[in-house]
Amino acid sequence: MALMTIREALAQTIRTEMDRDPNLLILGEDIVGGNGTAGGPEAIGGIWGLTGGLYERFGPKRVIDTPISESCIVGAAAGAALTGKRVIAELMFADFVGVCLDQIYNQIAEFRYMFGGRATCPVTVRIAYGAGLNCAAQHSQAVYSMLTSIPGLKVVMPTTPADAKGLLTSAIRGDDPVMFFEHKMLYGEKGEVPDGEYLVPFGHARMVREGSDATIVACGALVGSAAAAADRLAKEGIACDVLDLRTTSPLDEEAILDSVELTGRLIVVDESPPRCSLATDIAALVANKAFAALKAPIELVTAPHSPVPFARELERAYLPSPATIEAAARKALAYR
Amino acid sequence: MTRDLLIDAYRRMKTIREFEERLHQEIATGEIAGFTHLYAGQEAVAVGVCSHLGPQDYIVSTHRGHGHCIAKGCDVKAMMREIFGRRNGLCKGKGGSMHIADVSVGMLGANGIVGAGAPLALGAAVAAQMDGAGKVAVAFSGDGAANQGTTFEAMNMAVVLKAPVIFAFENNHYSEHTGVSYSVGAKDMATRAAGFGMAAHKVDGCDFFASYRVMAEVVGYCRAGKGPVAVEFDTERFYGHFEGDPQRYRGPGEVDRLRTTRDCIKAFRTKAIHEELLDAHTLDAIDKEVLALIEAAVTEARTAPVPTAADVLEDVYVSY
Amino acid sequence: MSTLRAFTMPKWGIEMTEGTVSEWSIREGEQVTQGQIIALIESDKIVNEVQAEFETRFVRLIAQAGESYPVGALLAVMATGDVDQSEVDRFIAAFRPAGAAAESAPESASESAPEITQPAASAEAARSRSTPAIAAAPVRAAPSHARTLEIPEGLAISPQARRRAGELSVDARSISGSGRGGRITLQDVEQASRPSRAIGGGAPVAIEPRTTALDAFYASPGAKRLALAHSVGLTAIRATGPRGRISRADVARDAGIPLQTDAAPRVVRMSATRKAIARALSQSKATIPHYYLRREVQLDALQGLRGDLKRQTGAAPGLNEYFLRATALALIEVPDVNIQVHGEEIYYYTDANVAVAVATDRGLVTPVLRAAQRKPVQVLADELKPLIERARSGRLRAEDVEGGTFTVSNLGMFGVDQFDAIINPPQGAILAIGAARRRPIEGGDGIAFASMAWLSLSCDHRAIDGALGGRFLAALAGFIESPQRL
Repeated sequence: MALMTIREALAQTIRTEMDRDPNLLILGEDIVGGNGTAGGPEAIGGIWGLTGGLYERFGPKRVIDTPISESCIVGAAAGAALTGKRVIAELMFADFVGVCLDQIYNQIAEFRYMFGGRATCPVTVRIAYGAGLNCAAQHSQAVYSMLTSIPGLKVVMPTTPADAKGLLTSAIRGDDPVMFFEHKMLYGEKGEVPDGEYLVPFGHARMVREGSDATIVACGALVGSAAAAADRLAKEGIACDVLDLRTTSPLDEEAILDSVELTGRLIVVDESPPRCSLATDIAALVANKAFAALKAPIELVTAPHSPVPFARELERAYLPSPATIEAAARKALAYR
Repeated sequence: MTRDLLIDAYRRMKTIREFEERLHQEIATGEIAGFTHLYAGQEAVAVGVCSHLGPQDYIVSTHRGHGHCIAKGCDVKAMMREIFGRRNGLCKGKGGSMHIADVSVGMLGANGIVGAGAPLALGAAVAAQMDGAGKVAVAFSGDGAANQGTTFEAMNMAVVLKAPVIFAFENNHYSEHTGVSYSVGAKDMATRAAGFGMAAHKVDGCDFFASYRVMAEVVGYCRAGKGPVAVEFDTERFYGHFEGDPQRYRGPGEVDRLRTTRDCIKAFRTKAIHEELLDAHTLDAIDKEVLALIEAAVTEARTAPVPTAADVLEDVYVSY
Repeated sequence: MSTLRAFTMPKWGIEMTEGTVSEWSIREGEQVTQGQIIALIESDKIVNEVQAEFETRFVRLIAQAGESYPVGALLAVMATGDVDQSEVDRFIAAFRPAGAAAESAPESASESAPEITQPAASAEAARSRSTPAIAAAPVRAAPSHARTLEIPEGLAISPQARRRAGELSVDARSISGSGRGGRITLQDVEQASRPSRAIGGGAPVAIEPRTTALDAFYASPGAKRLALAHSVGLTAIRATGPRGRISRADVARDAGIPLQTDAAPRVVRMSATRKAIARALSQSKATIPHYYLRREVQLDALQGLRGDLKRQTGAAPGLNEYFLRATALALIEVPDVNIQVHGEEIYYYTDANVAVAVATDRGLVTPVLRAAQRKPVQVLADELKPLIERARSGRLRAEDVEGGTFTVSNLGMFGVDQFDAIINPPQGAILAIGAARRRPIEGGDGIAFASMAWLSLSCDHRAIDGALGGRFLAALAGFIESPQRL
């Protein structure tokens, strides 16, 4: 066991996997940094600080800095994967998915299917996402709801260093394309990480709190807010289940339904805006498959139907918080 | 150029031609679903390029992919079954004409998105660089795809990474229903490519011999790790952008004229006989065999089993 | 050309709308001869053996045994001569039941009624069943200016919410609407009408996850929870959840724990017979003005007579058969009760066709003893036996259940003292007989014990007035208490 941040756990995992598999390569913008400058390569090991040292260890053929060309980062990753390599592609901000969306949803997501199962495309696209650092509308979006809806992709978002290591390992070693979402606010999150190699399976939610009065479902940075809300309610004798989904595609339907069958009240917390989102997806699932168990309407705590605002006060109001999650839980509990 | 090579080249070009001509008829009956884009007229490019490639090299194609597929060595009958949407088609009926592929022979797919091929080929070239075995990747693009942002990005990155990728631009003068003189702003694609910092060539794509010679040099250059190369082929397509295209953008008698004066197969035959490289008898025999192959392919495709509803969810993932 | 014919669900009687194919008596592809039994089809409580009218081959069986189909539905395809399956497919695809909108008829005509043996027509009179014509809604031209719908109070409120607020006497103005733009929804109104629910204010509670203790196992949170709650080890549990995970159901199954969902009821659709009973008796209760006349009868004499017969011959009919005979004779003596009621008409019958209530696995059926007044008790008993057998095995024929004028129902064997039965339409009355018990009666100067049973006569007041009913009951008691008259 070792105490480390999510950033460190991810960096360690990438290095371990590249050691283990000579066919694994990684590409992205500034993952080496410094190419073509006076500082030389490795002047900065990736803007999120995860990829430092890889260039030195594995060389320019496996650790590739790209120009600012997202469609080629993801497109080249796809092409290399089709020929039999395993590829990690890094997108600096989830918002840039817009620039390479064709590569993601017309190419990577569809190759295996279009080619009749006679091809695989083992690409892990690492994507830094989420609001909370005042990066405003084009550098703060959640994006995972859109990608969750695309058949052929898997969507993953760890919330602890231990899960970051296990989930990234699963993503890299798996043969399917994975959109690996890393919340900007969680890179510094600390936690105990087991030694040695292990895989965390997809579609396997984590229980963060347990109680039978209400179910709170969240993913990514909002898991912490959900747990905080549950702790406040627990002081008054209200016990909530808090589920960390870990992956939204595949989704751990069983965990959600089992919990709702027990509590009868569901609160879904989602950083996406409210239309056609993860929250509405889960609400529909539960309303359809656990209708008889529901004692109250499903409460959704989401971002508003607006772009992400810049000013601190605005961004704070934009994001779900422990207070708004607690209020939603109270509302569900008050229903009669 | 050895006799065997010439026979093989002629056979492949003829197979492409007869495959496309026959499809044109079959499509007219309404039996084939979806969009089909025929390659007839451009055979010398596909074969001129692929004659220098082995199964370990990679190509990525466009929506007009049957020619590249056949030239790269895909199973013709399996291709026909795929276009007919059969369960035992090359892609199990899941892809159809626009997504026809066989990764096992280095054909990384026809692609329905214009310009999608260039980054993919770049990726294959990056993989080839890792292996260090002198493999190359070819991105086939039309004059339309030449203007797509993804193509420019790939060209730039290829130069930056010195990747062994060949950008083969097939200028058949029409990008859908718009002429190349309108849609390409630069002097030509080769000149523009050179501006990106790569070696660039321009060649008559209706002349197999010229195309073959240029590609020999280009592929050699690439294999030697000298970086990417662009080749602009001047060629013609005899059919519309898609089957069903009324082709109102053509001049009167244009296609007839092209089929007479710009038919790469006719030109090959003429030259081969004139320069006593191959005799008419040999060529005729190949013609017959090719027709028989296409006939058999269609017959087989028509009676092959269709996929069932249960097949819809298969192969979305390796495991979910 | 085509020699295909349709075998469709027959219509027996005017009221039949659907039937159940109980079983096929032939296999697909079988050649049948004229008169050969093809299938058993059940409608209401009658199961009919359907016979082939002519020689043919059943090239395709479509109906499934046990399933119900509407009258006229295609059950099978018959053919003479060879025919290939695609032709049969085309025939099926083109088939339209008679009464469906007429399309251009295919060469192989789809007939609504097959040429097979029809059972005897039902003796039930026709009841008018008119489907109300659905009036076409008048089409209004859209107004040229869009007029905003004005709500008198000026409130944004849904139509259902407005109505409900009125019903519940809730002041809609005091509700903050949860709909778009503050619109008041039905849910808002209902919530406002209910007393508030107090939340919280309790003692702090622990919510740290306990299931993390079992994280080493690849099991769902629900599975771990169940395992912890019942101290079940997860090592030996067989996983059948997605991706090979142990699910809650797996733990429940292997550890023998009843899941919450086991408390759910087993839901079974009503059979054709039960639906028929439900329909008939609901209608009876709803439309017939029932009234009830009750009296005790003394059975000592009857039991004595029966006992003597038993001693003499070794066997005797059951007590109930004597009741049936008594009923028949009473019906002849008071013929105005021996009737059927049809709308505004009363049918008077000369024969007492006494129906007997028989309990079967499928439900209550009432086979009829025809002209019971002409048959001595033993004959009635002999006739009743096979009827009851057929009833219990679901093989009653139409003629077994038709034409009854009166029903007798006896629950004495269950110890029921007295009950009131529901009239079996279109009959005019029904008799309910209770258990024979020794009860104290007035006898001589004091109390004597006698064998008594309660009779309850339910009558249709539209056709049988109280006095008439009373007279019948008296006559019946007279026959029972003077069994030598039977």
